[in-house]
Amino acid sequence: MSNFAIETNGLTKRFGDVLAVDHVDLRVGVGEIYGFLGLNGAGKTTTIRALLGMIRPSEGNVKVLGQPVGPNGRGPWAQVGHLVENPSAYPELTVRENLDMARRLQGIQNPKVVDEAMAALSIASYADRKAGTLSSGNFQRLGLARAMLHSPELLILDEPANGLDPAGVVEIRELIKSLAQEKGVTIFMSSHILTEVDRIATRIGIIHKGKLIEEWDTEKREQLRTKRLEIRARNLEGAFISMQSAGFKPVIKDETILIEHVHAIDFPDDIVRILVNAGAPPIHLAVVQENLEDYFLKLTNGPSLQAQVTKQSPTQVEIASSPKNDSSQ
Amino acid sequence: MKSLSPALWTEILKMRRSKVPLFTAIGFSIAPLMGGLFMIILKDPEAAKSMGLISAKAQLMVGVADWPTFFNILSQAVAVGGAILFAIVTIWVFGREFSDRTAKELLALPTSREAIVTAKFIVIGVWTFLLSLFIFGLGLIVGALVDIPGWSIALLRSASVDVLGSAVLVIALLPFVAFIASMGRGYLPPFGWTILTVALAQIAIITGWGDWFPWSVSALFSGAVGPRAEILGLHSYGIVFLASVLALAATFYWWRNADQTK
Repeated sequence: MSNFAIETNGLTKRFGDVLAVDHVDLRVGVGEIYGFLGLNGAGKTTTIRALLGMIRPSEGNVKVLGQPVGPNGRGPWAQVGHLVENPSAYPELTVRENLDMARRLQGIQNPKVVDEAMAALSIASYADRKAGTLSSGNFQRLGLARAMLHSPELLILDEPANGLDPAGVVEIRELIKSLAQEKGVTIFMSSHILTEVDRIATRIGIIHKGKLIEEWDTEKREQLRTKRLEIRARNLEGAFISMQSAGFKPVIKDETILIEHVHAIDFPDDIVRILVNAGAPPIHLAVVQENLEDYFLKLTNGPSLQAQVTKQSPTQVEIASSPKNDSSQ
Repeated sequence: MKSLSPALWTEILKMRRSKVPLFTAIGFSIAPLMGGLFMIILKDPEAAKSMGLISAKAQLMVGVADWPTFFNILSQAVAVGGAILFAIVTIWVFGREFSDRTAKELLALPTSREAIVTAKFIVIGVWTFLLSLFIFGLGLIVGALVDIPGWSIALLRSASVDVLGSAVLVIALLPFVAFIASMGRGYLPPFGWTILTVALAQIAIITGWGDWFPWSVSALFSGAVGPRAEILGLHSYGIVFLASVLALAATFYWWRNADQTK
């Protein structure tokens, strides 16, 4: 078997004139948790459907667990679980019946897997409830239970945390982590909850306008994060001028001075000294990291931090319009 | 096709849990019950007169109160009413997978798509044929209760051929509805298709081309416009068979090859 659980070569999908996926080369290693990020319409779901043989690539090919997918939708599906877009179930059937149906279609003889899946997803108490009467969170859990029912080697999950309450999000995150860490299940998940992906994924791929534009492993993500020094002072103007005079090119956002200069981040004690000498001692000083969301938005040409600062007030427009310090990060 | 058994089990479970079989049975029961009412009216002309317009309509439509007339009503009901009710069954079996967005759960499975489509067709075939048998059986009970004259075993045999033959000819064309429901990904396109074919079938019969138009053949077989031996030929049955095979092949091809985006 190939070392990759998922492998695509030049995967391309056109719908008429629309290029939904553009020569995507994915390599997802066995046991990885791969986060697949993209804006709405970026091509995430189309890629996932191609991985599952639900659509035929216009160009390129797909291999899942070392086996080619298609033609005619064929693939190693007994080893693959999936949740595509919103979960679905037959509303007139109970939770148990929906899962039992999935069990039979998966070719599993042991009916106990249904109880195990319901227990794992905390829906055992809804076993005899009709799926159509479930809350959206429990409906999502039912979809996940169906995906995990047959203990697959690979789980392909499209927005798995959709509709879940905060406790449910944590629970599913831990479940996914344990599947990968304890059972070696490979997870390929798309999500718009970027912080969630950041917490769980061993590698993240960014898809934008159908192209896989970047991939980050954990180490690279750490390197890419912009660290910033946050300063708050009662004499905000004095603090700002002193930082400018020291060559740190500060910006102000929400009554907070932000500095991205490496020296300021590595030696905040120097900054404190400068501020105290300037008569603007800090009341708050912290090194913070830019979150993945900001990076993602920058990469996909979404609203940047500077643009957000620009919206604050006319004074801040003037401050924010100064060019960014090239030496920072 | 070793995966047919689980696919069939799931389709039967969906059908059992649905109210659609009950609704179609109730809807179809109207035919023998109305036929029985016509027979009551026609058997008693005095009562018929006192009922005014309804009795006049009954006289106009069915003529005399006897078993051949009653069976003729049943076979025409299966040929024309079945075209609509059986289509509803087919639309539900295929179209619901797209309306409920469950189609995507049937695609990436060890159970092949061919097995799933085959199971759906088996359920549709058995369900609609049982509906036809049910109508025929209910018709016999209603006819016996009304005490219609002119009963014979030979008549029962020929009526069975009329009613069940009409049903088979309608069922044979249901793959078209399945194909349109799949391609149209829902309920509305196959409903439109059904209405269109029922209307075109009437036009084909009126213009004298009914024996060449597959959707007219069941109505002509039922004796709607006279003895079928004078109207239908081998070509009529052949064209229904060919159309059926074509639509079956198209449905299987679509499920295997079309991009599934819903």
